[in-house]
Amino acid sequence: MNAKLIRELEHRLGHESVLSHREDLLLYEYDGSVEVARPECVVFPRATADVADIVRLANKYETPIVGRGAGTGLSGGALAREGGIVIAFSRMNRILEVDAENYRAVVQPGVVNLDLTRAVEHLGLYFAPDPSSQKSCTIGGNVSENAGGPHTLAYGVTANHVTGLELVLPDGRVVRIGGKTAETSGYDLTGLLVGSEGTLAIVTEITVRLMRKPEAIKTLLAVFEAVDDATESVVEITRRGITPAACEMLDGWTLRTVEDFVHAGFPRDSAAVLLLEVEGLAEAVEEQAAEISAVCLAKRAREVRVARDAAERDLLWKGRKNAFGAIGRLSPSYYVQDGVIPRTKLPQTLRRVEAIGKKYGFRIGNIFHAGDGNLHPLILFYPRHPGEFERVVAASDEIIKHCIEMGGALTGEHGVGMEKNELMPLMFTPSDLALMQRVRAAFNPTGRLNPKKIFPLGKGCGEVRVHPLPLSTSLPA
Amino acid sequence: MSYIAEPSLARLEQITGSDAILTDAALLAAYEVDGMRPAAAVRPSSVAGVAEIVRFAAAENLALIPCGGRTKLGIGAAPSRYDVALDLSRMNRILAYDPGDLTLGVEPGVTLADLRRALSEHSQFLPLESPYAASATVGGTIAANAISPLRQAFGGARDFVLGMEFVTGAGESAKAGGRVVKNVTGYDLHKLLIGSLGTLGVIMRVNFRTFPLPAEERAFLAEFSSAESALSICRSITHSPLEPRRMEALDAATMRLLGLGQATSGSAEKCWCVLVDAAGTSAVVARHQRDLEGMARAAGATQFAALAAAERETWLGRALEFPRYVAERSYEAVLLRVGAPPTTMIALVAESQRIAQSFSVELAIFLPAAGIAYLALFPRQAGNGPDVLGGAVTQFFAAISGNAVNARDAVAMVEACPTELKRKLSLWGLPREDFELMQRVKNVFDPRNILSPGRFSGAV
Repeated sequence: MNAKLIRELEHRLGHESVLSHREDLLLYEYDGSVEVARPECVVFPRATADVADIVRLANKYETPIVGRGAGTGLSGGALAREGGIVIAFSRMNRILEVDAENYRAVVQPGVVNLDLTRAVEHLGLYFAPDPSSQKSCTIGGNVSENAGGPHTLAYGVTANHVTGLELVLPDGRVVRIGGKTAETSGYDLTGLLVGSEGTLAIVTEITVRLMRKPEAIKTLLAVFEAVDDATESVVEITRRGITPAACEMLDGWTLRTVEDFVHAGFPRDSAAVLLLEVEGLAEAVEEQAAEISAVCLAKRAREVRVARDAAERDLLWKGRKNAFGAIGRLSPSYYVQDGVIPRTKLPQTLRRVEAIGKKYGFRIGNIFHAGDGNLHPLILFYPRHPGEFERVVAASDEIIKHCIEMGGALTGEHGVGMEKNELMPLMFTPSDLALMQRVRAAFNPTGRLNPKKIFPLGKGCGEVRVHPLPLSTSLPA
Repeated sequence: MSYIAEPSLARLEQITGSDAILTDAALLAAYEVDGMRPAAAVRPSSVAGVAEIVRFAAAENLALIPCGGRTKLGIGAAPSRYDVALDLSRMNRILAYDPGDLTLGVEPGVTLADLRRALSEHSQFLPLESPYAASATVGGTIAANAISPLRQAFGGARDFVLGMEFVTGAGESAKAGGRVVKNVTGYDLHKLLIGSLGTLGVIMRVNFRTFPLPAEERAFLAEFSSAESALSICRSITHSPLEPRRMEALDAATMRLLGLGQATSGSAEKCWCVLVDAAGTSAVVARHQRDLEGMARAAGATQFAALAAAERETWLGRALEFPRYVAERSYEAVLLRVGAPPTTMIALVAESQRIAQSFSVELAIFLPAAGIAYLALFPRQAGNGPDVLGGAVTQFFAAISGNAVNARDAVAMVEACPTELKRKLSLWGLPREDFELMQRVKNVFDPRNILSPGRFSGAV
C-alpha cells in the first residue's frame, strides 16, 4: 500500500473522505456478485473537481481507479480487481436540476435510482429504468452497467434514458458530452459511454430523460399449471404485438420461496406465474389487459388475476423485486446468470435449463424478464463444499452457450465485468474484441480505469472454450 | 475528377470482378459528391468483397465514400478527397426476419420502401423514415441519422437498432451489439456509426427491433394564427397522456413550399399548422381526437379537423420529404437542422424570423417532432446567395447556442447547402469540447483516414 498516496489523498480531500484501514475496506471487497477484491483505499469525493484531482493523483502513483455507486452490481463492476483506489460516489448524491418542462433531470452519479423518481413524482414524472435494486442502486452505477429492470420491456435500458454526461477522463480533464437534447452532434459518445462499465472515463454528472407517469396501469397475475404454458403465453403475447410494460415470470420453486418470505399472493401450488403490467391511455390499457387475459387463458392458465388496487399491485411487485432476498434465506450463496434469447425460443430454452440443472445436480430457479427473453437462471450452492462452485460455473456456462447458440446475448442488463469477461469470445470474434479494446485504449490508454474488466485476460482461465458467433453468412433469410 | 494510376485500377478490377466496377466518366457522374467525381465506383455483393476493397484502398491510400441510394451524400462537409465510390446497393437482402420475436437483420442496401413492404406482410413496421423514401437505403439512412418524424413516439435510431456489423477503415470485419431486444454485452460501438456519415466504418448489417402496425391511424390538423399558439398545443400534447405517433408543426412558408393547405386566417403569413398522427385501436384513436380537439380550442386554433385517408397520406408524405422540397426549390438553399429543448423552440422561431428579415432571406420553418427544427433559407435574389446566406447561418448558430440555457443543450448542423458555401462555413457551428474525443474514435476506426475523409466536421 502506498502511504504517500494515501497522505496526499487525505490532504486533498480531508481525513473523513479517505478510508485505508483494513477493517474499513472489508465492505468494499464485495458487490452484488460472487467475486471478492480488495482496494487499497476508498475515497469519497464531493464534487467533480475532487474526482479530477483523485484521478491525477492516481496517475502520479500509477494506481488503478474503480468507480462505485451502491455496490449492488452483479458482475463485479465495482470491485478493485487490481487493488488501487475505489471512488465511492455516496457523497455526490445531489439532484442538480429538474427540468420538468423538457422532461430532463441533471443528477450526480451517487443519486439513488428510486430517490430521483421520488423527487419528481409530485410533478407526475418518473425515471423509467427500474432494476430490482432500485431502492439502493445509484444512477451512476446504472449508467456504467447500462442497467435494466422489468419495465425495460416497454421503455428500454438506461442507455435509452441518458442524453448527456460529464466525464473525468483518465488524464484528469473534465469533458461534457451530449446534453439535454436527444439529438447528437457528431458521434454518439453518450451512447458509447453508457454501459462501458467504468473502463473509458469516470462519469461525474448525468442528464437523464424523465417520463410522464401513465394515466392508467393494470397489473395482472396469470397462474399456470405448467411452465410450458407460461412460456408459450409469452411467445403468443409477443407474436400478437401486444406490448406490455413488463412481463415477468417466476417458476414454481421460485414463487414458493418468494411467497414464504414476502406473502405477495403467488399461489404456492402453481408451476409458474406471469406478472404482467400494461400502462398508458385508459382505453389502451383496458383492451390490452383483456387481450393478455385471453391469450393466457387460451394457453391453459388456471386463472388471470387483475390487481384491484395500488396496494395489491405493490405487493405483487414486492414479491418480484425482493425475490433475490428471499432466495438468500435458503442458501448462503447463489449464482445468477443474465443471458438473453429470442423470445420465440423461450419454451425450449427453459426445458434446456431444467435439463442442465438435472445433469449437474442443481435446483435451478427461474425468475426473469420473460417479455424480452432476458433469463435469470439462479443456482443455489454452498461455497464451502469443495468443487461445488466450479460445477455451478460449468452449468451456468452451458446455459449461456445455449443462449448464444439461439442467437442471443451474454448479458441483458448485469454487465460483463469480471464475471463474464472470459466468456466474451462466445459472442465476439477476436477482431470485434480487438476493436473494442482499441476504443478503450483511445480513452483509457494506461488501462488504469477499472482494469481487467469486460475483456478476456487470455490467461489463467485456459483456452477460449468455444467458437465465436460467426458474422452473417451471405445466405438470405 | 479523381485519378487512379492504371495498375492500381486494374488491381481494383481484379478484386471486384469486371461486372462490379464502373470507370466510365459518364456513369461516374451519378456518384459525384460536392462536385467531386470518383475515378471508379465499385459494387460489391459480400462482406468479404467489401473488406477486400477497403484493405486495398487502405494500402493504396484511396479515399472511399460508401453509398446506397445516394440521396444523402450532400449531408456533411465536402470530402477532402474522393477516389472510389463504394456502392452497396447490391447488398440489399433481408438476412434474418423473425416476426414472432419482432427482430430483423438487413444488409445496408435494402431500400426503406422494400423493407416496408416485407414487414407489412407480417403487420409490422420499422419506425425508420427518411426523405427520398423511394430510393433511400437502410445504411444511408442510419449513417446520416436522418430525421424521422416517428421519433416523436419511437426515439431515434439508437433506440431501436440492436446491433451492427461493419468493416472498419482498416478493412476488418467487426460487429457490436447483438440481435436480441435486450443486450449490454461489450461496448455499443454500433451507436457511433449512427450519424457518422460513413466516416467510421462501412455498415454491413443492421439489426433492428420491429413494431406491430396499429389497427387504425388517423391524422388531425389544427390551424393557428401564430407560432405561439401552434407551439402551445405542442406543449399541451407532450404534457398530456396522449401518445401520438407524429407531431409536426409547419409555418406558412413550409406549407407553401410543400403545396399543402390554404391559410384561412386573416394574416396568412403568420399561419401555422400542427399535424398530429394518432395510432392504435379505434377507442384509442377516438380518445386522441376528443382530447386534441379540446386542446386545439384551448390553444386558440382557427380550425381543427381529422384528415381523410388520402389527405393524410399527402400531408405526411410531403412533410417527410421536406428536405427534398427545399433542395428542389433552389440549388442555393441552406437547410439547418436543430435539436434543442422544446421550451426553447418559441424563442428560436422568433430569433430565426428576425435574422431572416435582417439578411433579407426567405425562411421556412418545419418542426418534425418535439425538440427538433428544420430551418430552410432561400436567397431572395438568385446569384447573391452564398455570402448573404453564409452570414445568416453564422448568426443562426449564435442564436441557437445563445438560446439554450447551456449551449451544449442545443445542437445544430447545416444539413444542406451549396458546395461553395460549405467551404466557407463550419457546418456544425462552434467546435464542441468533445470534438477531440471524436477524433480519437475516428483514429481507432479509420487510422488511414480513407473513409469519407473530410465529410464529418471538416476536420475528422
